[in-house]
Amino acid sequence: MAALCKVVSSFRCGVRLPSSRFIRSSFSSDSSGASGSDQPASDRPRSGFAAAFDLQSELRREAEGSAAGSRGSSPGQEESFASLLRRSPLIQMGPAKDKVVVGRIYHVVQDDLYIDFGGKFHCVCRRPADGEKLQRGSRVRLRLQDLELTARFLGANTDTTLLEAQAVLLGPVEGREGRETQNQNQNQNQD
Amino acid sequence: MATRALMRGLSGLRQSRAVTIAYSCGGHQYATAASIKTPQPQLDDVSEKVLNQALEKPDFFRLSELVSLKDLFDARVHLGHKKGCRHRLMEPYLYGCRLDQDIIDLDQTKEHLQQALNFTAHVAYRGGVILFVSRRRQFGHLVESTAKDCGEYAHTRYWQGGLLTNGPVQYGPGVRLPDLIIFLSTLNNVFQQHVGIRDAAKMNIPTVGVLDSNCNPSLVTYPVPGNDDTPAAMELYCRLFKMTITRAKDKRRQTELLQGLSAPSTPSS
Repeated sequence: MAALCKVVSSFRCGVRLPSSRFIRSSFSSDSSGASGSDQPASDRPRSGFAAAFDLQSELRREAEGSAAGSRGSSPGQEESFASLLRRSPLIQMGPAKDKVVVGRIYHVVQDDLYIDFGGKFHCVCRRPADGEKLQRGSRVRLRLQDLELTARFLGANTDTTLLEAQAVLLGPVEGREGRETQNQNQNQNQD
Repeated sequence: MATRALMRGLSGLRQSRAVTIAYSCGGHQYATAASIKTPQPQLDDVSEKVLNQALEKPDFFRLSELVSLKDLFDARVHLGHKKGCRHRLMEPYLYGCRLDQDIIDLDQTKEHLQQALNFTAHVAYRGGVILFVSRRRQFGHLVESTAKDCGEYAHTRYWQGGLLTNGPVQYGPGVRLPDLIIFLSTLNNVFQQHVGIRDAAKMNIPTVGVLDSNCNPSLVTYPVPGNDDTPAAMELYCRLFKMTITRAKDKRRQTELLQGLSAPSTPSS
């Protein structure tokens, strides 16, 4: 899904490119006519899959070229807040209900495990019966229910918040799983 | 009615007394009462040069290189509370609301944070007393150790009513109040605004405050909209303030040394 988002977002910013550049560099695609170099984009009789394929291959080539060139030049000032937000795992995840994420235990009080999974708040789960090996620093899988427990009580102006998230503990992360294709919210403190 | 006549008579008396004082001062028509004249500190050339040098450039301490958007984002500073907890006056600082969770605009936060850090640096450069205040028990130790590391003060316990407003009585006459108060969380443990914000405004003490989406930004001099609930964000703020204050104090020592070295060589006028 992350790969799909990357292609879609590069498509969106590719549309802003001037059309002349697109036409000039489409010589390399096998089915394009060389006569299209002077015509504006609206006159080219491309349709359907051929047009989409040309556009995507062109954009991918340009993205690779610019990524190799610009990564060394300006450190960290390229991405705007809007694009950082749009590509962040929290936004890409969508509604938090029943999403499986990986968290890290950062505090233990007897049977209560305080787990941080990358959201605004931590969640507190009870240690399962076979959870002797879950200590401070171990990574666990969670099924999120809510990112912040809030409710509006009668007669109040604002919601009352518990400053906690709610999640169900599924168990420790098994083995060296690497990146799962499921929606995972990587803990940003780690790595 | 009698009291009103009495009050008018008294005010007339007060005015006439003031007028007599004014006349005795050389005929100027000031209507002020005789006030305590605070002695102006006489600055010599070297310290004036040291102080004025800091005011020449807008970013004298080069603090813009401390704050980057990516750092703020990775520390989850942009995450706010749910929509129902939002304070009406924080709406200008919000980027939007995503699935009921408010997102704070980090572009605005970056600017506000730079201004707040710049002001803190100037206060520290001039030898001001800085007080860190936070009533979040989760980060009390962090705030206290930050203050200790940069040689300033912290107050993370219960705030007694007259701490600032009744300082001379509670602590003794001639107590020096803080010159800047930094609130790392502007709410107390019952989600009301911390008393220190109102008291600092009463005592003309500038404040820097980290405001979450459920806080009231009205009385804070240098508001910094941002998350105050995540440990990562709090550690970032503490680190930034510590670096700013240390940098400013080092710069002051450096400038004084330089001025001290150059002063004997130049002939004094």
